[in-house]
Amino acid sequence: MVGNKACATGVKLARVQVASAYPITPQTTITQYLSEMHANAEFDFDFVNVEGELTAQLIVQGASRVGARTFTCTAGPGLLYMHHPMQETGTWRLPVVMAVVHRGYKGMMPDHSDLMSQQWTGWIHWYVEHAQEILDTALMAYKIAEDMRVRIPVAFGYDGYVLSYTAEPVEIPDQETVDAWLPPNKPYPSILPDGYDARKFMMELMEMLGAGDPQNAWKTHHEAILGSEQVLRETMDSFEKTFGRRYGNGMIETYMMEDAEAAIVAMGTIAGSTRSAVDRLRSEGKKVGLIKLRSFIPFPETDFKEWAEKVDAFAVVDRSICPGKGGPVFNKLRSTLYNVEERPDILQFHAGLGGKEVRIGDLCNVGEKALKVVQGGMVESLVEWV
Amino acid sequence: MSERMIRSQIPLEERSLSPGSACQGCGAALAARLAFKALGPNVIRLMIPCCPDTMTNNPLVVGVFEGGGAHLSGISRGLKAINRSDVTAVGFFGDGGTYDIGMQGLSAAAERNENILVITKDNEAYMNTGNQRSGSTPQYAMTSTNPIGPKSRGKARPKKNIPLIFAAHYVPYVATASVAFPEDLIAKVSYAKEVEGFRLIVIQSPCPVGWRYSPEKTIEVSRIGVQSGVWPLYEVIDGDKFKLSYKPKELKPVSEYIRYQARFRHVTDVEVAEVQKRATSNWEQLLRSDELGRLFI
Ligand SMILES: Cc1ncc(C[n+]2csc(CCOP(=O)(O)OP(=O)(O)O)c2C)c(N)n1
Repeated sequence: MVGNKACATGVKLARVQVASAYPITPQTTITQYLSEMHANAEFDFDFVNVEGELTAQLIVQGASRVGARTFTCTAGPGLLYMHHPMQETGTWRLPVVMAVVHRGYKGMMPDHSDLMSQQWTGWIHWYVEHAQEILDTALMAYKIAEDMRVRIPVAFGYDGYVLSYTAEPVEIPDQETVDAWLPPNKPYPSILPDGYDARKFMMELMEMLGAGDPQNAWKTHHEAILGSEQVLRETMDSFEKTFGRRYGNGMIETYMMEDAEAAIVAMGTIAGSTRSAVDRLRSEGKKVGLIKLRSFIPFPETDFKEWAEKVDAFAVVDRSICPGKGGPVFNKLRSTLYNVEERPDILQFHAGLGGKEVRIGDLCNVGEKALKVVQGGMVESLVEWV
Repeated sequence: MSERMIRSQIPLEERSLSPGSACQGCGAALAARLAFKALGPNVIRLMIPCCPDTMTNNPLVVGVFEGGGAHLSGISRGLKAINRSDVTAVGFFGDGGTYDIGMQGLSAAAERNENILVITKDNEAYMNTGNQRSGSTPQYAMTSTNPIGPKSRGKARPKKNIPLIFAAHYVPYVATASVAFPEDLIAKVSYAKEVEGFRLIVIQSPCPVGWRYSPEKTIEVSRIGVQSGVWPLYEVIDGDKFKLSYKPKELKPVSEYIRYQARFRHVTDVEVAEVQKRATSNWEQLLRSDELGRLFI
């Protein structure tokens, strides 16, 4: 099953009620799969084929407001076009779920600059590695977004082409199991006119959004996103109990980290390639492991602080860059570890931008450079373009 | 088509929450007050940035300026998904949100025949932000972005014919209304509430501040706008069936309408003649349509 089909299948299993999207490569086939599911009445949902991404985001925002479970998806430029209503979906704390099939801006091939550019919209941001994880993540996204302790929209990204159009084996859970694990969404607060009381509604809304002033609303929003970390960890446990699969603790997933001296930090499909690189390095006796970053927002600060006690260097592979400012994962990790007792070395690698190929050999070099730093060797620069 | 109403049929119950924060003589506040009387309680209202006319005692969703039609479609789709299509999704937007920034999404909503009711209070400029021109500003009107000077005679081009643009989407219902004709306005809103599919009602809503006349003249100004054919009242069903709601034997000259408003203070006789010519030709087209009972474009 290709990544986009896994995504559409997740949407179906989650019993989404209203979906809306506008085609853009490499997301396009999701809109086609959903259109087919709708035409063939594969499940009871409404799919709105719209005239642009701005509308797609607004359709799900409006439908979510009255309590429907909603889904939208886009890529690269489409995501930028959605920016303003995304901000509103975040502000009103609507449990919308969106798949972002990464597409870069300099050329059409994938990098993470699309989703990374939306950091300020007040959503939860996850990055996904393979087709099975796409399907599973879609289910988990609703569970977390709709949790009364969270009520935050979730965007999960996966690399275009490499994942969207590439077939991998995917295990499809059965509908009854999903239904039992994922109960229907409850609107909160209810905006329906029945016995509508403007005062009560405003009180409930204000309590959720942070009463008082706009600054307090930002604070409440920020804290709700931070709080989703705990819910994600719990959800990963219950997901494993029900479906028999897990992705680390939800925030990060580690590979060969037990005795590692250096860690490569990577996201999405590059994390997949890094597993092979780690295998190769290990076969040569080099103690390098992988920390796959799943949740960029909220950022797994506790996890990294713990790992910082055990490894001496982190090699961060950033698949996006804020020009003039640098790689977002690198910058965030470095600030996270600023206050730890013994600061590890943190190396920045810019890789896979605009879909530039990242080979196993490249990632082995990343690991080796990190080991060299650990062993006190000299390197020319802590920043490298792979 | 809507049924004729008499004044005593206008619902007594007020939905407007007072005190409002509208200016004295605000046409849009009156439009809201009348429209929501007709709509009653079973609605969800979408508000986008515009003048704070009248807040009503209805569930209120606040959304982005550019997204009126699109957002309202989502609310309506959501209501259908939760089996609550009995609730009407109503947008009460300004002309900026309708003619300009929200046009793409609104046109697409019309093309998909979304089950929404859009009411536009047309005050012919961006009044909330201080009377800047919009796609609805009439020709020669002075606005804060069309000042008069050696290179400017006010707005250079006529306003878009938004009701007919939407009629050309073949939607179930398009109508124009005016705050000077409250029975007609309420009749149209009441009718539209029961129609399924895309409905647009554009209400002429004079703004004393932007149009520059004294606040007690709001009804006079709107009435003469209708009587002079500048703001014809009509209904179009499915982009086809057509009816004029108000048909004077003879139109008043547009100069009478223009004279009231200092936004046209600078206008010359030649310019008035040009405005008159367009108003007359539009009126002839609508009269012809009315005779045929079909929109004749
Ligand atoms: C995306 C965006 N652009 C600009 C604005 C600023 N803005 C707020 S209201 C408004 C004008 C509204 O005009 P109109 O829709 O005609 O309503 P009115 O104020 O006349 O009632 C503008 C330009 C905004 N809020 N959002």
